[in-house]
This record gives sequence, structure tokens and C-alpha cells, in this order.
Amino acid sequence: MLAAILGLSRPPEGFHAPGTEIFDYTKTCLIGSGPYCVTRVTFWMLMSTVIIVTVFLLAVRRASIVPRGLQNAIEALVDFVRNGIVLEVIGREGLPFVPFLTTLFVFIWVNNLYGILPFINFPTTSRVAIPMLLAILVWFVFNITGIVKQGGLRYLKNTLFIPGVPKALYVLLTPIEFVTVFLVRPLTLAVRLTANMIAGHLMLTIFFVGTWYLQWKLITIPFAALSFALGTFITAFEVLVGVLQAYIFTILTAVYIAGAIHPEH
Amino acid sequence: MLHLLVLAAEAVEAEQKNPILPDVAELIYGGLAFVIVFAVLWKFAFPVLGRMLEERTAKIQADLEGAERARTEAERELAEYRRQLAGAREEASQIIEEARRTADQLRRELQARAEQEAQGIVARAQEEIRAERDRVFQELRAQVGAIAVELAGRVVGRSLDAESHQRLIEEYLDQVARSGNGKRG
Repeated sequence: MLAAILGLSRPPEGFHAPGTEIFDYTKTCLIGSGPYCVTRVTFWMLMSTVIIVTVFLLAVRRASIVPRGLQNAIEALVDFVRNGIVLEVIGREGLPFVPFLTTLFVFIWVNNLYGILPFINFPTTSRVAIPMLLAILVWFVFNITGIVKQGGLRYLKNTLFIPGVPKALYVLLTPIEFVTVFLVRPLTLAVRLTANMIAGHLMLTIFFVGTWYLQWKLITIPFAALSFALGTFITAFEVLVGVLQAYIFTILTAVYIAGAIHPEH
Repeated sequence: MLHLLVLAAEAVEAEQKNPILPDVAELIYGGLAFVIVFAVLWKFAFPVLGRMLEERTAKIQADLEGAERARTEAERELAEYRRQLAGAREEASQIIEEARRTADQLRRELQARAEQEAQGIVARAQEEIRAERDRVFQELRAQVGAIAVELAGRVVGRSLDAESHQRLIEEYLDQVARSGNGKRG
């Protein structure tokens, strides 16, 4: 019915459930050609720069002590990272990290939000590139912070040999700590974000493709309606997931930085 | 870990179809996007936002401190006024008390003086009455003497019998009484 309005005349033969290939068609070039051309994914990655920079510069243009409009929103956001994450997790020594953590939060958030924005409908963080890159960046940031704040050897010692633990336990704990801090941390950061966005996008695709498929026959239209309702619900859910995953990524980064600054925790 | 390695191996076999392996172009563009965002915000947005935050904090702090100062000042003034009011009340009651004392004293003095004056007046009146009485007495004595002399002359001038004697005395007494009555009014 809906398809008839849209001018799609022929119903498809048999239902093909969407799989991981929906993340692959994004390799089609949009601008330029070759392996480094701008695809739909990379185009929106670059657009996130334009969006975030524009919003922030508009917000601080004619900034006043009594904030209004956009300035208010952006200040609330920065305040959220500053008070809700940095001061809470790291403390006052963490204040220099506010710009980095805010950028991290906003960048991930926007790239998550793409998944539910009309006409974009693809979370660029469901491609592993950005989460992996940011996880590696975070790995460097907290390790360098630890080395700068504590000194290289002391940082390594405090990280691998947790203070206040019986010496015999180091046989067990030191390898675990090494794997946890230096390998698992970046891996979990990247995988958690990517997997969440893949799952969300898959669910949305399945329910909306299902809606499209089920509305061809009168008898299946109620199921199409149900599928559409679920898709809508998941869209709303993805709004939450998008901000939550950005928040988790940011707060974990803050926790790692805090650990690098205060060895006792 | 192991699971991921398996996934990665499978991905390679599937000609990079597995989404767990990054696309190099996406790494480059994604990294570029993040770096630009961070650089621009670091250079242009965060200094302004930080300054705003600090200015606002300073302003709010100053306002609060000002309000606190004003409140302390007001309280101090109120206490001062209360103290002054209490002083004025004390003073007023003192003045009233003194006025009452003064009035009392004045009243007593006036009373004493009036009494004294009254006594003086009475004493003077009594004095005058006594003087008048003495004067009248004096006068009366002189008159009585004169009358006695006259009466003696009359008695000597006429030879009297007992009956005329008696009449003469009665006449005389009448005369005296009349003149006395007339004098006394």
C-alpha cells in the first residue's frame, strides 16, 4: 500500500533478512574514486566536524555572562562533562582534560545520532574505525598522563604492582593487571561502542525492512504495523543508546585518566 | 580476546566483509574529523566557554559576598537602632520620673506657702480684732468716765429723793444702753 504510493510496483520474491552486508554497501564512492574516496560513511564522519564546529562557534559567538539560546545548551553540555564527569571522577587535577573529554563525548554522540537522523540513517560509529581510533587515542592519553604525572617507572610499578596487596599475589595479579590496563581497556572501549551501534542499526533495519515487506499483502498489514511500531520504539531507544554510549566511553576515559593521576585508586 | 581474534580471522577470510575490521579510508577520515573538531574547539570554543564560566563564578561569588555584606550591615544597623530606641525609652522614663518629682516638690512647696500665708492672714486678722477691741475698750472707758463725771455733776446739781434718784439711774442706764446699742449697731 505504502509502496504503491511510493511508486514501487512489484512485491519482492521471498524475504531476505538484512545482515552485516548492510554495513558493506557503504563502500560505494560518493566523492572521488579509488580506495580512499569519500563514501557515505566518511562523508558523514567529515560532516560531524562541520556540525560540531558550527554549533560550538555559534554558541560562543557574542558569548555573555548571562547565557542565552545555544550558548546555554553548549554550556550545559560542557558543564555536564566538567562537573558530572571530570570533577566527579578525576577531581580538580582533571580540569585540563575537560576540552578533550567534551570533544570525545560530542564527537561520539553526533556520530551515534546519525543512526536515527532521517536521510542519514547510519551510525558512523557502527563502523569500527572511529571507536578503534578513539580507543587507541585514549590509550595514549591515559598512559602518557600516567608517565608525566608519576614518572615512567613509577607509573608502570603502580599500575602492575597494585599497592597494599600481599607480595605473593603479584604472581597472579600482575599479568591480569597488565592485560586489563594495556590490552583490554582499549579493546573493550572500541568493541562496546561499535557493537552497540551495530546492534541498534541492525534492529532498526530489520524492523523497517520487515515493515516494508509485510505491507504488500492485506493479510500481513497488521504485522507490518506491529513491525513499524517496534521500529519506532527502537528508534527512540537508540536516542538513549546513542547518548549513553557516548557517556560511557567518556566516563571510562575519565576513570582511566584518574587511575593514571592517582595511583592509589 | 580469543573470540575477537577468531572474528578477525574470519573477517580476513570473508574479504574484509566483517565489520570488526577497520577500513583504512574511514580511519583516516574519522581521525581527521576528530582532530579538526578537537583543534577548533580547543582553540576557539573552550577558551571562551572557560572564561564565561570563570566570570560567572566570580560574578556570582561577588554578588553573594555583596549580599552577605549588606545583610551584616543591615543587621548591625538594626541592632544599633534597637539600642538607641531602648536608650530613648530609658531617657523618656527618666524625664517623666523627674518631672513627676519636680511637680510633687512644687506642689508641696506651694501648699506649705499657702498654709503659711493663711496662718499669717488669720494671725493678722486676730491682731486687728484685738487692736480694735482694745481701742473700743479704751474709748468706752473714756466715755464711761465722762458719763460718770456728768452723772455726778447732775447728781450734785439736783437734790434727789430716793424716787427721783432711782428714775435718774434708770434714765441714765437707758441712755447708756441706747448709746451702747447704737454704737454696736
